[in-house]
Amino acid sequence: MSVHVEELVVTSAGRPLVDVADVGLPPGRAVTIVGESGSGKSLLAHAVMGTLAPELEARGRLRLDDTGYDVAERGNRRHLWGRRMALLPQEPVLALDPTMRVGEQVAEGAPGFRSDRRGGRRRAAELLAALGLGGWARAHPHTLSGGMAQRVAFAAATIGGAGVLIADEPSKGLDDAARDALAALLRRHLEGGGVLLTITHDLDLARRLGGDVLVMRDAGVVERGPAEEVLDRPAHPYTRRLLAAEPGRWTARPRSGGSPGGAPVLVSADGVGKGFDGRSVFADVSLTIRGGDRLALTGPSGSGKTTLGGVLLRLLAPDSGSVRHAPELARGRLQKLYQDPAVAFPARVPIGTGLRDLLHRHRPEPGRLEDLMTAMRLGEPLLRRRPGQVSGGELQRLAIIRAMLLDPLLLFADEPTSRLDLATQQETIGCLTDQVDRAGCGLVLVTHDRALARAVCDREVSLTPEPAGVPGSR
Amino acid sequence: MSSALAASPPLPRMAVGRLSGTQRCAAAVLVLLVLFAVAGPWVWPDPVAQDLSRFLQPPGLAEPLGRDHLGRSVVSRLAHATRLSLLMALACVATAALVGTLAGVLAAWRGGVVDTVLHGLSEAFVALPALLVVLVASAIADGGLWPLYAGLALAQWVEYFRVVRARSAVLLGGPAVEAAGLLGLGPVHVLRRHLWPDLAPLLTTMATFGLGTSVLALSTLGFVSVGVAPPTPELGQMVTEAFPFYDEAPWMSLAPVLVLVAVLLGLLGLRGREGGS
Repeated sequence: MSVHVEELVVTSAGRPLVDVADVGLPPGRAVTIVGESGSGKSLLAHAVMGTLAPELEARGRLRLDDTGYDVAERGNRRHLWGRRMALLPQEPVLALDPTMRVGEQVAEGAPGFRSDRRGGRRRAAELLAALGLGGWARAHPHTLSGGMAQRVAFAAATIGGAGVLIADEPSKGLDDAARDALAALLRRHLEGGGVLLTITHDLDLARRLGGDVLVMRDAGVVERGPAEEVLDRPAHPYTRRLLAAEPGRWTARPRSGGSPGGAPVLVSADGVGKGFDGRSVFADVSLTIRGGDRLALTGPSGSGKTTLGGVLLRLLAPDSGSVRHAPELARGRLQKLYQDPAVAFPARVPIGTGLRDLLHRHRPEPGRLEDLMTAMRLGEPLLRRRPGQVSGGELQRLAIIRAMLLDPLLLFADEPTSRLDLATQQETIGCLTDQVDRAGCGLVLVTHDRALARAVCDREVSLTPEPAGVPGSR
Repeated sequence: MSSALAASPPLPRMAVGRLSGTQRCAAAVLVLLVLFAVAGPWVWPDPVAQDLSRFLQPPGLAEPLGRDHLGRSVVSRLAHATRLSLLMALACVATAALVGTLAGVLAAWRGGVVDTVLHGLSEAFVALPALLVVLVASAIADGGLWPLYAGLALAQWVEYFRVVRARSAVLLGGPAVEAAGLLGLGPVHVLRRHLWPDLAPLLTTMATFGLGTSVLALSTLGFVSVGVAPPTPELGQMVTEAFPFYDEAPWMSLAPVLVLVAVLLGLLGLRGREGGS
């Protein structure tokens, strides 16, 4: 089984979004497409699958073994779905049906499920057990951690026996351990003679998968070759830039001030613990945060980082222990950045309208907003748009602006870049640290990315997940 | 204060050019109905003047819909009845929407006892059929308009309450409102920027349906003779009165039915996409 894509062009109103001459997907060898968001890599996957949005036009040919398919024709690959070709969706938690038990969702995809339900359910149970989810067949998706949901999605995608697997950003939102497990899973698919096309901006995942790497930028492929070669000795300047954006390779920025020894204590937590539904998420955490501090809260997903953040911000009451805030933190001097900035703005009003309320309420010095907009390289027209009409990176920078307008003493950033690609992450973190430095404000960075924590923060508090069997809660 | 924000963005409004064909037709029907309800009683002022010598007079130039079994002008009665129906429906829907929305936001915001009490109350109203509430109210009312209005509004506030409460609870518990709290923005901001923009399209759709339901409920009551007391003209009551004469004077029964159909089709046709724009 092998797949060949030739002369693939995807356009939107005449503008090319994908223009790739030829991509071969040999069996047993991973092919990974990397690049930043907007480079067209996801569209390429959807063009191959035949799931492009109707307003896009596609041209080109797809060869699956000896059969040729015209990419322009959308429905002609439908009969292949599940049996020959399968798509592993991004953010599996959203792709799974929230009202359906896991085992049933997987079983549905089994060949012949309509006539032989029992056999399908048995295959699903076997498959889930093989993926280490033996006891979870009757669980609903929202009780699973991100990594477990990804494994369920993998089971659902492959139960039909599809040899060609297309994975679209499969590691988005996964922590290191879950990502390693995912890479092992994908490699196993290859070892069984399968074809794998992975779309990702996660270079670590690309490294782990090996095989061939294609670097995409502005609709085209700028560099391709074996993974080790492209990712260790990149030839194209764009690839070099992409690699330099990995947090582990950031050049250290000089910091004014340095680590604060005598700065006043802003937040002190004393033996706090919190749990949900009788299950402890974390227990007995003590820490102090001083002005100008740069603290990282790390740990795998499900270890309670966000919950601890809520307790530290006093948005949640701890089950045990106490959290004290310095009086200076009152009146909005403690701010928070959210993992998904789109849900942190009122969804149906232009961003500028919300900011105007803020200016009206707190009356910062005139021109402060314009200065911040300039410093973040954001244009005024963005303020006229709604949160859903602005890209993730820009919106997170707008969230930083919104927080900085109040001159906070402490900024709590909850996975602020985990949904952004590497280049955008670097830019956003750069803006964030610049502002925090200039204002002499403390920063608590919640992240599952140890490399990012080390690149940004002076000290790190690591949460270990509570004993196994606990469904992840964020 | 800042040039970046001075130029307020034009809010997307429903422009006539963006209405679909169906919506334009529906709007035209409703405009005609409203015109008839406003100008009709002025042109044909007296709906109760009897002239038994003109018993069941057929339609003519002076009386476009003829005269009924008591020699009263049918067009005058129809115009007055239409005005009554539309005004009552508007008043009932406005009251129900206002009360339901306020109670819903209050319940979602305060939670605790307030929520328990209001939710329990709405539960009790859901358990009763809406028309039963209105029937009881109008039985007590004995033909008066005010109890009828109160009964209709009482039967309708529950749906607004329940929708608004559910949606507000989601919004108020969400990160956007949490962020607004951290930013020190008060309840006015939360209401104006978070809740209202999200609830308004929902309420518009519900109110459109509510108007139709109210007009229909009022005429149903008139039809079974527990609504507005004669001789005040009312659409349902007019249909009942005309029944014995449908053979000799079909226009008498057809006219109020036609108005009812036009009101309902107009309101249903106006319904656009919810939550769009």
